[in-house]
Amino acid sequence: MRAAGAPGRKRTVPNVVAVLVSMVVIFPVYWMFATALKEPGKILSATPEFIPWPLSLENFSTALTHGSFLHYVRNSLLVSVSTVLISLVIALGASIALARFRFIGRRAFLVGLVLIQMVPGSAMVIPLYLMLRSVGAIDFVPGLVITYMTFVLPFTIWTLRGFVVGIPLELEEAAMVDGCGRLRAFWHIQLPLLAPGIVATSIFAFISAWDDYLFAYVFLKSQSNYTLPVWLVSFQTSDGIDNGATIAASAIFSLPVLIVFLLVQRRLVGGMTSGAVKG
Amino acid sequence: MTSLTQAPEPRTATPPPTPPRTGQEVRAHRIARLTPYGLIVPSVIAFVAVLGYPLVRLAWLSVQDFGPRSLFTGEAPFVGIDNFTRVLGDSDFWFTLLRTLVVSVGCVGSLMIIGFLLASLLRQVSGWARVMLSVCLVLVWAMPMVSAAMIWRWLFEPQYGVLNWVISQLGIFGDFSAHDWFSSPRQALFLIIALIVWKGLPFVALTLYAAMGQIPDDLYEAAGLDGAGRWSMARHITLPILGPVLAVLVLLEVIWSVNSFTPFWVLTQGGPDGGTTTLGVYSYLEAFTRNDYGGGAAIAILTVVLLAALAVLYVRRLFAQGEVEA
Repeated sequence: MRAAGAPGRKRTVPNVVAVLVSMVVIFPVYWMFATALKEPGKILSATPEFIPWPLSLENFSTALTHGSFLHYVRNSLLVSVSTVLISLVIALGASIALARFRFIGRRAFLVGLVLIQMVPGSAMVIPLYLMLRSVGAIDFVPGLVITYMTFVLPFTIWTLRGFVVGIPLELEEAAMVDGCGRLRAFWHIQLPLLAPGIVATSIFAFISAWDDYLFAYVFLKSQSNYTLPVWLVSFQTSDGIDNGATIAASAIFSLPVLIVFLLVQRRLVGGMTSGAVKG
Repeated sequence: MTSLTQAPEPRTATPPPTPPRTGQEVRAHRIARLTPYGLIVPSVIAFVAVLGYPLVRLAWLSVQDFGPRSLFTGEAPFVGIDNFTRVLGDSDFWFTLLRTLVVSVGCVGSLMIIGFLLASLLRQVSGWARVMLSVCLVLVWAMPMVSAAMIWRWLFEPQYGVLNWVISQLGIFGDFSAHDWFSSPRQALFLIIALIVWKGLPFVALTLYAAMGQIPDDLYEAAGLDGAGRWSMARHITLPILGPVLAVLVLLEVIWSVNSFTPFWVLTQGGPDGGTTTLGVYSYLEAFTRNDYGGGAAIAILTVVLLAALAVLYVRRLFAQGEVEA
């Protein structure tokens, strides 16, 4: 099973399999960029060209001039950033309380936290729609923040709690023995150690808000209020569907996420894979 | 966070345990005891506002006749369990439920089998190949579902989709040029399952890979000395040890696949003829397309109740493993 520990075992076959599997797994992502970078005239060809040459940015420029792209970027950023910031401020205290203190209702809160994340968005969207409608917040971009908090807030508390648990308690105790107040101990000892966890959690939370399609699709009506995912799905030029421009738009939308994810993947992947499975 | 070892006894940062003497110390002690409540109150308030209240509203909605007129008058008559009897009496609901289960089993089964194989592969390859494959997996994980669905549409486009061309070239399934996958509910469902599996695979594979790393090498070496082959090692060592992790993954993936909405909505909107409608899409359509919010809420409540059993199992697992100190 584990060739890493078995010297002399041939790894050629697994390596070749890994290369082939990687190619299959990554192909849709590759094909997105390959299509987006093709000359528009070459996209609709009966025999596909697997290497886009000569490269062309024309699909991108078509995509960017469709509607008011910067407007959608602004809407997406506005909603995602506000959701993450508000959730962080609220969640930080709770995550510390859950990780460091015992108090009445702690277990109930933890159970509720996990259970609530299992409620489907398609169930939440109905009452949220009626709620926001009754206060006139339909087709109102900041109103989306409320709906995104339904999934970002529990996730943020849960994940941050894991990072707080990971900070050695001894440091904090030592500081307090040395006469440091709890608040100062937190500010000088815990927070700096927690910073990478906060960054990783925020990024993941940001991406989940950035990716949302369901809520934005239901709550935003007029085109000028679209976020990027709604814009992407509604993508049609006056001549019908322009596949090159649609795929270029998908690439534009995905690229920032792909880059950020790659940059933070080591911390993130470790935290997420163990976090979801074992808390 | 990545270790599978049992978490140490839950500890809390208590100040040095000298009994408080002066008035100032008594006050400090009281503050320390109240701190957790102060820290958690904002979250409790936010939860009640953005989650608790909507869920209560959803439950209340499911016993109301809330139609298009109610949107404007704000009044909806109480109808008891009428919405539920109507939904449960509709054969569409049962077909949708069955379809949801099929999709779920298809997704979770493929995810587990392929995920396990990929994790084992990651264990066996050289360093460079491991990095290459895991970077590919992480990129797929990062892909926004909306983009992924758009790409799926393009990959399987009838005239110019590259995969139709590839399948035709392979020649095993005959000529696929101009084959429209989305005109047949079965094939459309197959594509949607493939999309969910592709997007979900990195999480499963990387989680299992991390869990496999916790299995001591000695076990395999000892088994090797006893003449065990690779297959029997997987069956008698890897699978039993990974059991708890696999169970949790299955639970999570079932819940996530039932909750899935975006791939269905972007690719088929539940069509053709409702042939790809699953519970999430069904409640959405009932509420927002047919303007029967009460009926949509009833379907949503039924979905939540179905999932609740699984969610409770998941919570019990989490707490039983001692990873969440309760």
